[in-house]
Amino acid sequence: MRAWRRVTALARKDLLLEWRGRDALVPAASFGLAVLVVLGLVWGGSPEAAPPVLWLALLLASVLAMGRSAEREDEEGTLEVLVLYPGSREDLFWGRWLALCVLLLALGAGLWAAQVLLFNAPTRNSTTLLLVGLLVAVGLSAVGTLLAALLQHVRAGRLLLPLLFLPTTVPVLLAGVRLTEAATSGTPAGPWWGVLAAFDLLFLLVGPGLFEVAVEG
Amino acid sequence: MVRAFVVGGTAALVALGLLLGLWASPPDAYQGDYVRIMYVHVPAALASYAAAAVACGAGALYLQRRQPLFDAWARAGAELAALFSGLTLLTGMIWGKPVWGVWWAWDARLVTTAVLFLLYVGCLLVRGLADDPERGRRLSAVVAVVAFLDVPLVHYSVVWFRTLHQGPSISLQGVKVAPEFLVPLVVNALAYLALLGLLLAERARLARLEWER
Repeated sequence: MRAWRRVTALARKDLLLEWRGRDALVPAASFGLAVLVVLGLVWGGSPEAAPPVLWLALLLASVLAMGRSAEREDEEGTLEVLVLYPGSREDLFWGRWLALCVLLLALGAGLWAAQVLLFNAPTRNSTTLLLVGLLVAVGLSAVGTLLAALLQHVRAGRLLLPLLFLPTTVPVLLAGVRLTEAATSGTPAGPWWGVLAAFDLLFLLVGPGLFEVAVEG
Repeated sequence: MVRAFVVGGTAALVALGLLLGLWASPPDAYQGDYVRIMYVHVPAALASYAAAAVACGAGALYLQRRQPLFDAWARAGAELAALFSGLTLLTGMIWGKPVWGVWWAWDARLVTTAVLFLLYVGCLLVRGLADDPERGRRLSAVVAVVAFLDVPLVHYSVVWFRTLHQGPSISLQGVKVAPEFLVPLVVNALAYLALLGLLLAERARLARLEWER
C-alpha cells in the first residue's frame, strides 16, 4: 500500500472511531467552552479580550483531545498490530497527525463561533482567520501527536502532557493572538505569519523521526 | 592526576571569580552592590544554555547510536540545564526586586529561561516516570531535542509579542558594560563554564557507573 493510502486509512480510522464514540471532541469542546465562560467572566466580555481567550481555550482544550487516539490504541492493543504492518512507521505519525488536525479544526471552529457570541467579537476577515486556524491546527497536532505517543508509557503521562505541551506551544499561542487581532482590527501582522510557519515547519520536520523513536518497543 | 588538575583549576577559577566579583569590582553607579549578583546570574544563564545544548546533542547521538556514553551525557546535560536555569531565575529575581522594583517582569529573557526550566524539568520527569529505564532514556532524549529546538522560537516570539504591543518597560539591551565590570563578568563566565564541564563529566561518570551496575 502506498504511503498516502496508509496515512489516509489511519486518519479515517481515527476519525471514524471519534465519530462513533465522540469521546475526544465532546469532552474537549465542553471544557473549551467552560474556559471561555470562566475567562470571559473574570476579564469582562469585551471584544478586545476575545483573541487571547479564544486561543487559550483552544490550547487547553486540545490537551484533552490529543491523548485520545494514542489511548484508544493502547486500550485495544492495536498499536502493536499497526507497527507490524509493512511500511514506514512515519506513516503512523502522519495518520494520527491528520486526524488530530481535523479534530482541532472542528474544535477551533466551534470555539470561534462561541467566542463571537459570548464576546460580541467582530467577524471580519474570516478567511484569514481560517488560514490562521489551519496553521495553528497543523502545528499543535504535530506537537500533540509526538507528545501523546511519547507519554503513553510514562506513569502520570496524562499529567505530564500539559507540562510539556504548554511551554512548547507558546509561539503558536502568541502568533494566534496577534494574527487574530490583526485580522479583526486591521493592525499590522508583523512577523507572526513567519513565526507560525517556522513552528509548523520545525515540528513537521522533526516530529515523524522522533515519533518513530517514541513508539518503538 | 588529570582529574585533580581539572578540579583544582576549576576551584581556583571559581575562587578568582568570587574574589573579583565581591572585592575587586566597584559598586555600580545606579545599582550599587546589587551589580555583584550579575556575576552569578549571567554566568549561570550561559551555563544553562550550554548544558541544554549538551543534552540536545548527546540526546540526538544517543537516539542514533544507542550507546550508554551518550545517554550519560544527555542525562547530565538535562539535570544541569534544569539546575542552572533554576539558579538563573532565582538570582534574577533576587536582583530584580531591589533594582527593577519587581520580582518578575515579562521580559523575553525571563520567559525564555522559565520555559527552558519547565521543559528540562519535564525531561527529567519523563526519564524518572517511564515504565522501564530503556524507554526513559529514549523518551527523555526526545524531549531534550524538542526543548532545545523550541526555545529560540519561544524567545523571539516573546520579544515580538511584547515589543510590538507596548515597548518593553525594562530592557538590558541599552546597558553598556564598563571594563571594571566586564573583567569580573568574563572571569566568572569562564569559571561557571569550567564548573559546568566538571559537573557534566562527573555526573556522566556516575550515570555510566549506574548503568553498569
